Amino acid sequence: MFEDPLLSARFQFALTAAVHYMFVAFTLGLAPYILFGQFRATLRRDGPRMRAVRFWGGLYIINYAMGILSGIVMELQLSLNWSGLHEMYGYAFGAPLAIEAMGAFFVESTFLGLWIFGWDRMGKWAHWCCFLVVTTTAYASAYWVLVSNGFLKHPTGISIEDGEAVIDDVGAMAANPSALLAFTHVTFSALLLGGAVIAAASAYHLRRGCDPDGMYQRGVRHGTALLLIAVLPTVISGGLQFIMYGQDPPSSGTTYSAEQIAAIEEGYGELSTAHALGISGDMVMMLSWALMLLVGMLSAGVWAFRGLGRWRWHLRLLAFVPVLPYAASVGGWVFRETERQPWTVRHHLTTADAVTDMSPLMATVSFSLFTSAFAVLGTVTAWLLVRFARLGPNAGPLAPPRVFDQDDEDGRTPVLRL
Amino acid sequence: MEIAPALFLTGLIVGYFVLAGCDIGLGMAAPYLARTPAERRRLVSAIAPYFLGSEVWLVGAVGVVAGLFPSLKDVLFEGGMWAVSTVLLTGWLMRDAGLWLRARVDTGAWRSVCDSALVSGSWLLALSWGLIIGGLLSGGDPLTPFSLVCALTVAVLFLLRGAAFGAERLVPADGSASGHTGPATAPEADQAAWATRVLARTGLATTAVTAALVAFPGTGPAVDRPLLLAAVAAVPATALAITSGLSGPHLSRHTSAVAIAAVPLLAGALNLPLGTPPAGTLLLTGGAILPVLPLMVVGQVALHRMLRRPADDHGFFVTPPPQDSQPGRTVPVS
Repeated sequence: MFEDPLLSARFQFALTAAVHYMFVAFTLGLAPYILFGQFRATLRRDGPRMRAVRFWGGLYIINYAMGILSGIVMELQLSLNWSGLHEMYGYAFGAPLAIEAMGAFFVESTFLGLWIFGWDRMGKWAHWCCFLVVTTTAYASAYWVLVSNGFLKHPTGISIEDGEAVIDDVGAMAANPSALLAFTHVTFSALLLGGAVIAAASAYHLRRGCDPDGMYQRGVRHGTALLLIAVLPTVISGGLQFIMYGQDPPSSGTTYSAEQIAAIEEGYGELSTAHALGISGDMVMMLSWALMLLVGMLSAGVWAFRGLGRWRWHLRLLAFVPVLPYAASVGGWVFRETERQPWTVRHHLTTADAVTDMSPLMATVSFSLFTSAFAVLGTVTAWLLVRFARLGPNAGPLAPPRVFDQDDEDGRTPVLRL
Repeated sequence: MEIAPALFLTGLIVGYFVLAGCDIGLGMAAPYLARTPAERRRLVSAIAPYFLGSEVWLVGAVGVVAGLFPSLKDVLFEGGMWAVSTVLLTGWLMRDAGLWLRARVDTGAWRSVCDSALVSGSWLLALSWGLIIGGLLSGGDPLTPFSLVCALTVAVLFLLRGAAFGAERLVPADGSASGHTGPATAPEADQAAWATRVLARTGLATTAVTAALVAFPGTGPAVDRPLLLAAVAAVPATALAITSGLSGPHLSRHTSAVAIAAVPLLAGALNLPLGTPPAGTLLLTGGAILPVLPLMVVGQVALHRMLRRPADDHGFFVTPPPQDSQPGRTVPVS
């Protein structure tokens, strides 16, 4: 595959995007839960609840780190490996990415920094507001990235002037149906994934009889509730996207004529490897949805019989549920991205024309470097997430500093500061 | 109005050099300034909060280049520059991974792997920035003698910035040297302060060599505005000259910032293919970014104000303190 720079650039981007999204989805899914938990803890001045927030917050940051690292690589990889996209579509495709980097990520990362270092240094409500900004900008980020991605799939709001795409309708660009549908779907599926992980981590601890201040009983309830709320909208918003299937984008015919488009698609064929991969991705996604619906109904039943958080077989089952939404997310993205082939920008730019003119050596170096780096970093982060989820609230990276009571004679009784 | 996006981009890149110069430079100086585990721990906790707030400036700049100046990419990512950009990205990844992961596993081997990633990543970052500036000025070839000397000079400027930053941040949070046994003073901070002088002199020497290469026919860069280049290059030279005469860190905090801020401005001597973004793109990006601009400013100011004090002894990026301390001690909470 290294003889063909196009193939390795595509494979590299697919890997980067898939790894990136796995961490992004957890970020999006967990953020509202932490926001909600911290709100309740702050409102009630509830120390034990705040301890739970520190536990989930620790997982959030470990996960966020890999989200940033893979996001940076993805942003630069678009420039390094896909220069054709920027030559002709830079002003259109790049604009939402610029907004994402400046308006969303810049703010998100700065305020996350404030949140991490502000635990004992700022007012409780100011601290909560920092996380409110983090959550809002995380979703804003997702929206703008999907506007970019939606543009590739369904270019609208643009016209072609001198071979360059120019945005002539800002509203149409921002309200691209392909982007809005995908954003709805990503939001619900991320909440589903977040709920599954919260329920799984809680179930793991409950099965071992560890439940400090009832935080894991709450976690298993909240996680299951999120899962139940989000599973149907995920399936529906996913299915709704099929209305876009086969629809020609409004700007179709401005770069290539209808005959040329037909010829390019004909030349690519229906039975390419990409399409085969896409169909398998679709099947993985559908199968995972079906299993999640089953698990959801089962859990609702268990809850109705007051077995939630108590029946050991169910706790054991819950601990493995996150595999399903992760598989569905990756499968879904493989399906969405391969479905667009042979186009990078549908009916405007073929993938073969978008790739940077790289020598096989450059392609090999870039591919092996970043793939191995991602393999290491992704594995380490996943291992750390599981490790800290298992270690529980006392060993988390955001666990409060231990302060020893001044009056205590032997000074060994730790006092919790929250 | 047409100049506003270009000014915005310049502001982001200069902001990145000034702010990230602190944590990249201190990371480069780590093998010299921090030799014991406790010293390394303090050095990382001095860097860690800063890098989150400073690298976003570069991410923002890359985004702005993607959206508003797509033709700049041809200059930045072609031929030899492609290789340098890939190395820069590798260095960035290594340094960040080292910082994020260091405190997560409590073993010496893990920490030394992360420390190596931090140090080598910081060096790769600084050197590739120098090669990018030198390569741009040499017309896209990062391997000319001029580019190489440029890389060396930029690395020295990063080191100077890091040393000036370390002289302030490596001081323990309180007089008792952060809760465990140790001297009340901070030898690392003194060492960093002393290093600013040496580094300023080295920087002055490498700047002189760079200037000599410019004057020497055949090795100098081909720029469109040589006078501007000379004027901008005079800024770090003056700043270095001021710092090199002082022993303490007092002025180096400002002079190092001025010196490193001039580095990206050197590219102003070239006729870069900026182009004018079309109205629709400006409307979309301006309409979406301007409303959050106050939030960006508030966040950055708040973060850097909060971190102005000496580094904390606990937190996400700080490893647990060494186990040899006596039981019953009080961990200070600031």
